[in-house]
Amino acid sequence: MRQGGAPDMDPFFYLILLAGAIAGGSCGLLGVYLVGLRLPFVGIFISHAAMAGTIYSLLLGLNPLWAPALVSAGAAASLAAIRPEKSRLDSNVALAILFSLMLGLTFLGIGLVQGSRSEVLGLLWGSILFVRKGSVLVISLAALAFLAFAFAFNKELKVLLFSRTIASATGVHETFVYALFLALCGVILAVNLPLIGGLMIFSLITNPAAAAYQVCRGHRAVVAASLGLGVASAVGGFLFSYYLNLPTGACTVLTSTLLFAAAAAYRTLAGRAD
Amino acid sequence: MTAGTLSLANVHVRRSGRTVLRIDHLEIPAGTFLGIVGPNGAGKTTLLKVCAGLIQPQGGAVRLEGLDLTRLSAWRKCALRRHIGYIPQVTEYNADLPFTVREVVAMGRTSIRPLLRPLNAQDRAAVDHWIDAVGLADRRKQTFRSLSGGEQQKVLIARAMAQDPRLLMLDEACANLDFHWKHEISDIVERLYRQTHMTVLMVSHETGVLPAGCRRAVLLAGGRLLADGAVRDILSPAMLHRAYRAGLTTMSVGGRTHIVRAGPFENPQFESRHRDRGQSDSHFGTSSDAAGGGS
Repeated sequence: MRQGGAPDMDPFFYLILLAGAIAGGSCGLLGVYLVGLRLPFVGIFISHAAMAGTIYSLLLGLNPLWAPALVSAGAAASLAAIRPEKSRLDSNVALAILFSLMLGLTFLGIGLVQGSRSEVLGLLWGSILFVRKGSVLVISLAALAFLAFAFAFNKELKVLLFSRTIASATGVHETFVYALFLALCGVILAVNLPLIGGLMIFSLITNPAAAAYQVCRGHRAVVAASLGLGVASAVGGFLFSYYLNLPTGACTVLTSTLLFAAAAAYRTLAGRAD
Repeated sequence: MTAGTLSLANVHVRRSGRTVLRIDHLEIPAGTFLGIVGPNGAGKTTLLKVCAGLIQPQGGAVRLEGLDLTRLSAWRKCALRRHIGYIPQVTEYNADLPFTVREVVAMGRTSIRPLLRPLNAQDRAAVDHWIDAVGLADRRKQTFRSLSGGEQQKVLIARAMAQDPRLLMLDEACANLDFHWKHEISDIVERLYRQTHMTVLMVSHETGVLPAGCRRAVLLAGGRLLADGAVRDILSPAMLHRAYRAGLTTMSVGGRTHIVRAGPFENPQFESRHRDRGQSDSHFGTSSDAAGGGS
């Protein structure tokens, strides 16, 4: 990324930092619910649905942004139909099977691409260094939409996190809210996928939220901490990569993992501070 | 007045090709405290979930406040269930999340308020009231996960009560608790029942936790309703044998009926007959009677 020393940052990098911060914050916020629902596999399933959607959109000549967003949102919302109490399969096992289906479709799509495959292979790791203003605008809008959703349905989402059985038995519109949540998940992941890639998205969903759940008391604190840790992972990872001349994706993943380790260590050393 | 009434007619639930619940008729008038007892796998939780509309039976009608839950749209079912306070088994809620006690109790107000409307000052007052009522005033800012099992049950009861329930359903609320907490939780439920006269359905495999105020219970075994009546009446040795396939009897302590193993101390007559005949099945009815409870 740079050669020696600690140079001044090119103004273009501020756009990258902004994109990273928005993507990290979105994933951090999303993670609060996916990790809280004990469904981090949903994140990886949806991100691969988005990846498959993007590849087939390229193959079919469809809009490479909205077509995959629709595919992943639809795939995600359909997950609301999986009811743990009605299925003989554990939710995570069912998701793992669906994930393998998406992975198969993705690699089939990659195999069908004619000519250079660099664009589709870039979906695995993302290409945040080539971000454009239009992409930043799109991920900002998606992030705002999810933030508005989380704020508007805050009370229902809390019951869902605590117990879907209680939510269902006591008249909370849990299926509706859950389906809406999953559809928005699909949109967020689809629009962030070209920037941060399918593999990195998973760590940005899981690690910041898991760290926040370790050290926070109260749902509001968890949301704020996870969002902040998501931003810190993406921005910190980029800065490490810039100043240490290392791959950006790997630095982001390792930063988020280090933040989780720090949170876990704090919780252990401070005892159960609840 | 239908508020808090519940009735089941010709309900059957099948799972993996096996009937796990068959109730021909069960009428629960408003203000009833009904204990649901029976051995493991008897269908107690299934019955409770059918009553709450969580399990859709393959046949029959489940009328909650006069409306058939099995035929309602999801949206109307939600509206009807707003006044069901439901306390699930410990495996059905996520006790590891750092929700505070106040946040968990406030969840009880969620369905009272429409979608997109936040909780208001009245809701917060109700939340604090019920936290105080169960004796957790000094724990309201603590996290749910840091509380003991008994205290967590109190929080869940406060959450259910914050809903202003007309029907309270408890699924093994006293399971995994020590003697002191079992009775504390049972006493709280009885006190709330006497104060509000709501309908209460309390599932328990331990009859000793059913409070004295529980004047009616149903005994289930193999998904069938074996007996319906006063707690002491339905737990006759014959019925206990049909349900548990073991030599059991009851013992009354402090107005509560406990199921105990029939032995020389509890039931010398049973013990001597058991020894003389050699086969437990022959004491109370035939083996086909005993199998009648199965599916």
